[in-house]
Amino acid sequence: MLLSIPFLLILVPALPLAAAVATAALGPRVLRQASHWPTVAAVALSSAASLLLVVAVRQEPEHERIVPLWSWAAVSGSNFHVDVVLRADPLTAVMLATVTFISLLVCVYSIGYMHGDRGYWRFFSYVALFVFSMTMLVSVSNFLLLYVFWEAVGLCSYLLIGFWYEKPAAAAAGLKAFLVNRIGDFGFALGVFLLWTTYGTLDFDAIFQRPALVGGGTTTAIALLLLAGACGKSAQFPLHVWLPDAMEGPTPVSALIHAATMVTAGVYLVARCTPLFLASPDARLVVAIIGGITALMAAIIAMTQTDLKRILAYSTISQLGYMFLGLGTGTLLGVAAAMFHLVTHAFFKALLFLGAGSVMHATGGVIDIEHLGALRRRMPTTHWTFLVGCLALAGIFPFAGFWSKDAILAAVAEKTHAGDVAWLYSALYWAGMLTVFLTAVYTFRAFFLTFYGRERLPREASQHVHESPWVMAGPLAILALGALVVGAYFQWSGDFLGRDGFLAQTPSLVALGEKEQGQLSAGETASDVTLLASGVAVAGIAVAALLYLSRPAWLQAVTALMTALGLYRLSKNKFYFDEIYRALVVGPLERLAAVFAWLDQHAVDALVDAVGAVPRAIGATLRPLQGGLVQFYALLMIVGVLAFLVAILL
Amino acid sequence: MNSNIATLHSYLAVAAVLVGIGLVGFLSRRNMIVMFLSAETMLQGVSLSLVAWGRFHNDLGGQMLVLFIIALAAAEAAIALALVVTMFVRSGKLDIAAWQDLREADQPPFEEADLPPEPCDEPAAWPHLAPAGIEPSTSDEKENYRPKM
Repeated sequence: MLLSIPFLLILVPALPLAAAVATAALGPRVLRQASHWPTVAAVALSSAASLLLVVAVRQEPEHERIVPLWSWAAVSGSNFHVDVVLRADPLTAVMLATVTFISLLVCVYSIGYMHGDRGYWRFFSYVALFVFSMTMLVSVSNFLLLYVFWEAVGLCSYLLIGFWYEKPAAAAAGLKAFLVNRIGDFGFALGVFLLWTTYGTLDFDAIFQRPALVGGGTTTAIALLLLAGACGKSAQFPLHVWLPDAMEGPTPVSALIHAATMVTAGVYLVARCTPLFLASPDARLVVAIIGGITALMAAIIAMTQTDLKRILAYSTISQLGYMFLGLGTGTLLGVAAAMFHLVTHAFFKALLFLGAGSVMHATGGVIDIEHLGALRRRMPTTHWTFLVGCLALAGIFPFAGFWSKDAILAAVAEKTHAGDVAWLYSALYWAGMLTVFLTAVYTFRAFFLTFYGRERLPREASQHVHESPWVMAGPLAILALGALVVGAYFQWSGDFLGRDGFLAQTPSLVALGEKEQGQLSAGETASDVTLLASGVAVAGIAVAALLYLSRPAWLQAVTALMTALGLYRLSKNKFYFDEIYRALVVGPLERLAAVFAWLDQHAVDALVDAVGAVPRAIGATLRPLQGGLVQFYALLMIVGVLAFLVAILL
Repeated sequence: MNSNIATLHSYLAVAAVLVGIGLVGFLSRRNMIVMFLSAETMLQGVSLSLVAWGRFHNDLGGQMLVLFIIALAAAEAAIALALVVTMFVRSGKLDIAAWQDLREADQPPFEEADLPPEPCDEPAAWPHLAPAGIEPSTSDEKENYRPKM
């Protein structure tokens, strides 16, 4: 191997970090409109390094390579020491390759999208910082550093969502994202503390290879707390409220962070901690239930949204729910399918978001599908790539989403045959199927309303609705190609789903493979599940075409039915989550904060002012002693002498 | 010669009275020269006390110190009266209450209240006497010039 694994492992995060610093230092004055060069170059090199890393890890996938860098904290007297240690195993390699490749395409796209923006250099600096944080997140080998970079990606998300900070909605959205993430991070931190007190170490290998993992309540508690962190970061129920608002940020940010990379950090965490979840069936069930609920709920909400980016945001939440559903099955097929879906979803969701950005670029920022129509004539490239993305999302053969989504459903179907909670998994399976149908419907609803129908151009477009420049259309084409072939390729090569595949060799997941001896082989997806899912998806597309393309009267009838059932309003108002949270959490906290503000103003400040008032009072008492009258001074002198005499004589 | 202690007490009493008078005078008078005068009186009281003690202990040290005091008082008189004259030229009055500017910024100045007008009932018209005798013949020049005081 020409380049060694340690070198590659260090290079992948170090280059974006250097680019972030360089862009921040040189961007404002020196580089200005050329500020994209450090970031694009760094991410391109990181991407190449990640691919080389995948090749290198392939040589010997069952031995993870640990690369210690330096000792961060060591408390003498106890065995607490935290080292900065990176690891290279198949799971890390897969995540790194996905993250850097998608980041590269998004960076190239941003050159065109953010062109002329006042904060051009700031954007690329933040993106490079994000890529550094995310690559480090998936490379580190202990929980404390994972937490550090978990927070770092949350910070970058906040910075990038609120990129146009002068817009109050964007600033509020950034704050909301960060605060909701913090709630999840609180659970994560508690989980890390519990890990420390239980195992005495925070290192991955030390924890996952313990022959007797502490079972029972402690493991469940740890797993649930880590799940809380994952829910916050991956926008699962009930911490999903930040992701739709995060669409206030620039579209490349939505594509990169809120579709392909940051929100997958939660999935990565649960996959990495598979041994912990293996030891706790209750936690696994909770993961699956949360995934199923989220998938269905988000799909229902997406049916009535009119903002294309928000539809895609709810779609992301729904697909992440699928991944959690897969992880919650606790089988090798489930976990591998979830990671497979992570990779394919990165491709087609980024594609869809960048396509939406292309539409926004052409229409002057309007993304409300009620104001758009028949854009396919003016923007053919965007139209075709968006179609590829929609087909992949809906799960149509042979696009990428078909393979991974069907693998997840097959994994859930496996669990419905036996076990005491088979009925629950059965319910989740049917929820998953319903979500497939709804996914197809809302995806193609958005597609048809935007690109077909009567031509409608918003006022802001002002006669220049044209196709995007090649710097934006290029990444779209590459991602479309990926959405087309990535799924089929990995299915054929067995990298993900094969029992001896690349991913299954990850040390944490090997235990899964050993556990299942006589069950369905991970390589074969159950064909009846596949047929049902494909049929449902095609039916969904047909329904969408019927309602939105040819029979508007039927659409009105369906809408009336849904309104009568009350579902329409529930869906349109996002199940009132924001209002509920405002009433239950935000309102009381604001009132509490008002109380404390009052106390601070009237009690604490009064105390401080009193301390300041004492010298003033003393001064005011002593000031009249200097009145300007000579005889008064003489009198004071005499009084002083008398006091002195009295003191002497007594 | 050792004096009687009772005689010493008399001397000390007189000296104390002098000091007291001087003190009260310094504190209550507003005329700068009179204030200085009172200060001098205090000095004299102290000198008397010193001499009496010297006589009592048959020690000439007391009288020696008094000589010092007298010389000192003379120098002090020079300086004090120079100050008084300067202040009089500046303000036109010998009133020490005219000099209050060194007070604190927010203290009010001492302003004496005007005495209420004395109630006196003047008759509407004074009785008028008829002039008697002859007016002497004088000239302005003669009136205004006085050869000797």
